[in-house]
Amino acid sequence: MSEKLLDVKNLVVHYETDEEVVEAVNGVSFSLNKGEIMGLVGETGAGKTTTALAIMGLLPDRVANVIEGSIEWEGEDMLKMSKAQMRQVRGKKISMIFQDPMTALNPTIPVGEQIAEVVMLHEKCSRVEAMKRAQDMLAMVGIVPERYKEYPHQFSGGMKQRIVIAIALACEPDLLIADEPTTALDVTIQAQILDMMRNLQKQQGTSIILITHDLGVVAEMCDHCAVMYAGEIVEHGTVEDIFDNPKHPYTKALYESIPSLDKKVDRLHVIQGMVSDPTCLPTYCSFADRCEECTEACKQGDPTTVHLEGEHTVKCFKYCGKE
Amino acid sequence: MENEKNLIEIRNLKKYFNTPRGQLHAVDNVTMDIEKGKTIGVVGESGCGKSTLGKTLMRLHSATSGSVMYKDVDIAAMPLKEFKKNYRADIQMIFQDPYASLDPRMSVLQLVEEPISVNDPKLSKADVEKKAKEMMELVGLAKRLEGSYPHELDGGRRQRIGIARALSLDPQFIVCDEPVSALDVSIQAQILNLLQDLQKERGLTYMFITHDMSVVKHISDDIAVMYLGQLIEKCPADEIFENTIHPYSQALLSAIPIPDLHIKRERMIMKGELTSPINPKPCCRFAARCPFATDKCHSEEPTLREMKPNHQVACHYAEKFMK
Repeated sequence: MSEKLLDVKNLVVHYETDEEVVEAVNGVSFSLNKGEIMGLVGETGAGKTTTALAIMGLLPDRVANVIEGSIEWEGEDMLKMSKAQMRQVRGKKISMIFQDPMTALNPTIPVGEQIAEVVMLHEKCSRVEAMKRAQDMLAMVGIVPERYKEYPHQFSGGMKQRIVIAIALACEPDLLIADEPTTALDVTIQAQILDMMRNLQKQQGTSIILITHDLGVVAEMCDHCAVMYAGEIVEHGTVEDIFDNPKHPYTKALYESIPSLDKKVDRLHVIQGMVSDPTCLPTYCSFADRCEECTEACKQGDPTTVHLEGEHTVKCFKYCGKE
Repeated sequence: MENEKNLIEIRNLKKYFNTPRGQLHAVDNVTMDIEKGKTIGVVGESGCGKSTLGKTLMRLHSATSGSVMYKDVDIAAMPLKEFKKNYRADIQMIFQDPYASLDPRMSVLQLVEEPISVNDPKLSKADVEKKAKEMMELVGLAKRLEGSYPHELDGGRRQRIGIARALSLDPQFIVCDEPVSALDVSIQAQILNLLQDLQKERGLTYMFITHDMSVVKHISDDIAVMYLGQLIEKCPADEIFENTIHPYSQALLSAIPIPDLHIKRERMIMKGELTSPINPKPCCRFAARCPFATDKCHSEEPTLREMKPNHQVACHYAEKFMK
């Protein structure tokens, strides 16, 4: 039995403004073992990034509210930790790579210094040691250490993303949260970055949560996959479950709406309607209004999460009572 | 025109930009035929000149040299004023970012009316409005949205406004510059279907610029692969995945993650990144990254050769890579 690293239970996050309440995450539960790569897929506004920010303790202070739930890190609830305690965890045990490498780096500080900064903060080492470590990190992500003193604008997009990854990995975190790490990059550079992340996972045993909307990336990288819709995990399982045996109508519709490389289709399948407005989610199944397999029961109440074979879970009335 | 079937014939088109460090060869000697009523997909990494090619056809950039034949006239060489008067309406463009390409202070109806009234100032206000409403219906924008502003709409609807604006002048040829890359997959499917329907109804010809290979294969009849300003391979869309010849095209294709667990391909990881397009040496532009490069590749520029009917490749060793 592998070690459970992260355990998110029934997480509910709302953004509250004067006019409205945005129900961003509505009861998300999942756990992650050591060395596993989990994919978190879903469309814009599904709550993927909010979930990640909640784990990092980086939700915007005044507007975001964790209504209920817990996020346990090696058995300890991170939501109850003080800010000072969280700072110890962040960057050292859990690191995050943000979507846009162009804005994640400080343009006025040489890239090497930006890596060394994290090391000095967490490892309590001397400047020289931190510098040495930063140079090693640069080499590891495939950038010559001589470029330590160069500034972000002197690097290309793919290289900047690699520097961001070097910063995230400088303290050998146990968990890396990568929020759309390759979305802004070309496929060839994406392939390099994904390869690198996979190697790191193998060498250092890092667990990874990979947030993406690209199912191809998930198929290539992940062990597990959770599909999010309107702030809920509608289907969760191993990649084999999700790719070979998708159950939830939304997951199936997602597959049909992406153009395939090996099959010739004349028209793409379209998911009818729009994503439900997170300020007024229906009281029943949030996908019901767009679902092709919707029945009377779907509009009566919210489905519960049903456990199918193994780790495969699905949140849909179609499977209720068939456990 | 050399061939009756062609709508546009591009011959030795060049677009150079002057920079402090020298001449940047954004589009370098591109020769291409675009068949009437068909879609030509243009793919390549960022910076390969695909958008510049589209903009040069539109006369948003003026060509450095070369010709673009349309209806037996060279639209690249004529004075800009004449082009705008007689041909601008025939050749239209859909832009990548529907968030940035619409005036935030104009309502949907005003946005669609704008190109109509600008291109035909003699038209009465009522006629402009009538035409704009027709266009909105055509692209599937509901009547109730007429008074809405861009910020109130989602990406898919905004892109529909862009399409309505382009179509309002009854063009023959539309340059679609990454029209779906900012959209979620389910919205992307709607827009791709819409573009295909409009093409069938109105006999439109598209140039579809994208970096997403699965999208380009789905929508295109022919595919052109560009690398550092040059056209390196052009072939029918079905052919590109079966019988790609140029090593760069092969590497590009092998880098795409496929959302299927049972397809495993051997990946060609390219070393390094794009070389600079400023004052390039007379050699194969891909030689520096090509695993098969020889001395000849580093000293002599390959020309585009017809290897099979409809399949052109610019590589010294194309015979060797043919299956």
